[in-house]
Amino acid sequence: MHSLSRRLLVSVSVPLALFFGVMMWVLDSGFRALSERSLQELLDSQMVSLIASAEPQPDGSYAPTPQTLDPRLATPRSGFYAEIRSQQHLWRSPSTVGLKADFGALLTHGERNLVYATFGHEGVAIENRAIQFDDDPSGANALTFSVAVNLSPYEEQLWDFRQQLFGWFVGLMVLLLLTLAALLRWVLAPLRRMEREIRAVEEGRNDSLSRGYPRELSGVATNLNALLVGERKRVTRYRDTLGNLAHSLKTPLAVMRSSLPGGGADAPLGAEIDRMRDIIEHQLKRAAASGGALLGQAPVEVAQVAADLRGALLRVYADKDLAIELAVAPTAQFVGDRGDLVELLGNLLDNACKWCRSRVRLSAVADAAAGPRERLSLVIEDDGPGISAEDRARVLRRGERADESVPGHGLGLAMVHDTVDLYGGRLAIDTSAMGGARFSLRLPGL
Amino acid sequence: MRVLVVEDEATLRDTLRTRLADAGFTVDVARDGNEGLFAGQEYPLDVAIIDLGLPILSGLEVIRRLRAAHKTFPILILTARDNWQDKVEGLQAGADDYVAKPFHFEEVLARLQALLRRAGGWATPQLKCGPIVLDTRAQTIQVQGAPVELTTFEYRILEHLMLRAGDVISKTELTERLYDQDFERDSNVIEVLVGRLRRKLDPQDQLHPIETLRGRGYRFALPRDDASS
Repeated sequence: MHSLSRRLLVSVSVPLALFFGVMMWVLDSGFRALSERSLQELLDSQMVSLIASAEPQPDGSYAPTPQTLDPRLATPRSGFYAEIRSQQHLWRSPSTVGLKADFGALLTHGERNLVYATFGHEGVAIENRAIQFDDDPSGANALTFSVAVNLSPYEEQLWDFRQQLFGWFVGLMVLLLLTLAALLRWVLAPLRRMEREIRAVEEGRNDSLSRGYPRELSGVATNLNALLVGERKRVTRYRDTLGNLAHSLKTPLAVMRSSLPGGGADAPLGAEIDRMRDIIEHQLKRAAASGGALLGQAPVEVAQVAADLRGALLRVYADKDLAIELAVAPTAQFVGDRGDLVELLGNLLDNACKWCRSRVRLSAVADAAAGPRERLSLVIEDDGPGISAEDRARVLRRGERADESVPGHGLGLAMVHDTVDLYGGRLAIDTSAMGGARFSLRLPGL
Repeated sequence: MRVLVVEDEATLRDTLRTRLADAGFTVDVARDGNEGLFAGQEYPLDVAIIDLGLPILSGLEVIRRLRAAHKTFPILILTARDNWQDKVEGLQAGADDYVAKPFHFEEVLARLQALLRRAGGWATPQLKCGPIVLDTRAQTIQVQGAPVELTTFEYRILEHLMLRAGDVISKTELTERLYDQDFERDSNVIEVLVGRLRRKLDPQDQLHPIETLRGRGYRFALPRDDASS
């Protein structure tokens, strides 16, 4: 029930089926009543002609003369049967020859009834009537006249009718539902278009919804676009503010530090200044990380970011005989903020460059089989001493340093951890085949 | 060594000037991007420290224009915005290293010395040329294992010559890089200092570490023991 069109289709087809069912029942019972009445009329007319043709016989019984007998009663198994019965006598039409016919019990004068029975395998309707002729020689004896008609032609008619009725109704219903489905497709097409466009915005292929929606939806589309633009502006302003805040706090800190006697390397005030710097660094950066893809943001090519960082790091580590290998698939794209990716990769690569002997490697691939939040796989490894198992968990905790002698180490990795968390990705540390530490990340990708 | 400091924060600028001068540098200062660009283009510098957040002309732009003007001295960025985006942009513009604010002065000094070494083609802070060893961090000299006492100016001349061992360095260049811009320049002073330096390094007159090339300048003649690039 997670589709509007399916809901509509179900909600229309259920009452439709109910309506057709009731209609079929009403028509069917009407038709049955009609055919029963015509059967009754047929039996009545047969009865009347039987009674009229009955003549007293010499033995005191009554029987129609062969000349006046209905030819259908004279023909065996014709479907029309008759009987005249009294206490002493019994006459049956020749059509009953060879048939196990049982017309029922004798009736007393004035009684009449209609029953259904079977003669052998034939279903029949029987009308019985008890009559006493005034000129009856055997006076007190009432005669029971019975006529029977084979029901199968009527049943066939009824079944034909029912089949036709059912066929027409089912055909009509299918036609109606198809028409309805086509109408729904047409009516809901703008909704589907909106769904497609929102997905495009989510995946960063578009930055807003297009125009030309029907009146009922155009307001939604316009508001959504306004929301997208507003959100982007808001985040940008928020980050600029945080950046400026960090900037304007750190310069006075630098002044304070430089004014301390001897550079304040050992003074308690110097340690406090370092702490403040770390807090600004960590908390403001964490707040400035966008924490997930902004809607309508273009995906970031990992290759470009990696190449820029490689150039920068080779400059910074010019003293070291350093090789930074990039194995970045052109399809590797990050769905999120470019700044966040630069920060993540910058910290991890810088860390790897600090610790490696001579080789650092970054691999990036898009894993289409993974969930949308883990589609980008990044691996950063080096040939340095690696990180011991107990240090791995510690290194990811906020601001803790596995080796105090290398400044900024812990802070950078904690920031990496935070950012991966914000994006709902995964981060694992183990040992590389190159000998050093290996950081494996999963981040939202295309 | 002549260093340019481009920093708009007055206290920070003054502290850097004082402490760099104490560390043996000749220091030029600039308060904004325009001044910095002018100084970078006009003065014979060995290295520059440029703050990225400068008024009038951004630090990034100053670096770009200096590099466009074929100024090759190393540049150290000071930045309060400690994020990789800014670092990458600065390094791509032509800077060589960065230090985030607030910094320890020792770190700035170490980075400056490393940049100067790298510019001269040295891989380690100890410059070794045969029996003469100069330690740029401790600012000490040893000749055949024995320490030699030098005055500040003698040390500066020797450091300059040894950092670029093998290159010819003119007297004018030495003068410009050892004295402030408003100092009275007298090349005779250099000759006297080099003479004293020769006697201290080579009292027996056997090593001949410093050559005089008539009309062109001086050259540190002993081969480097450890030259990387």
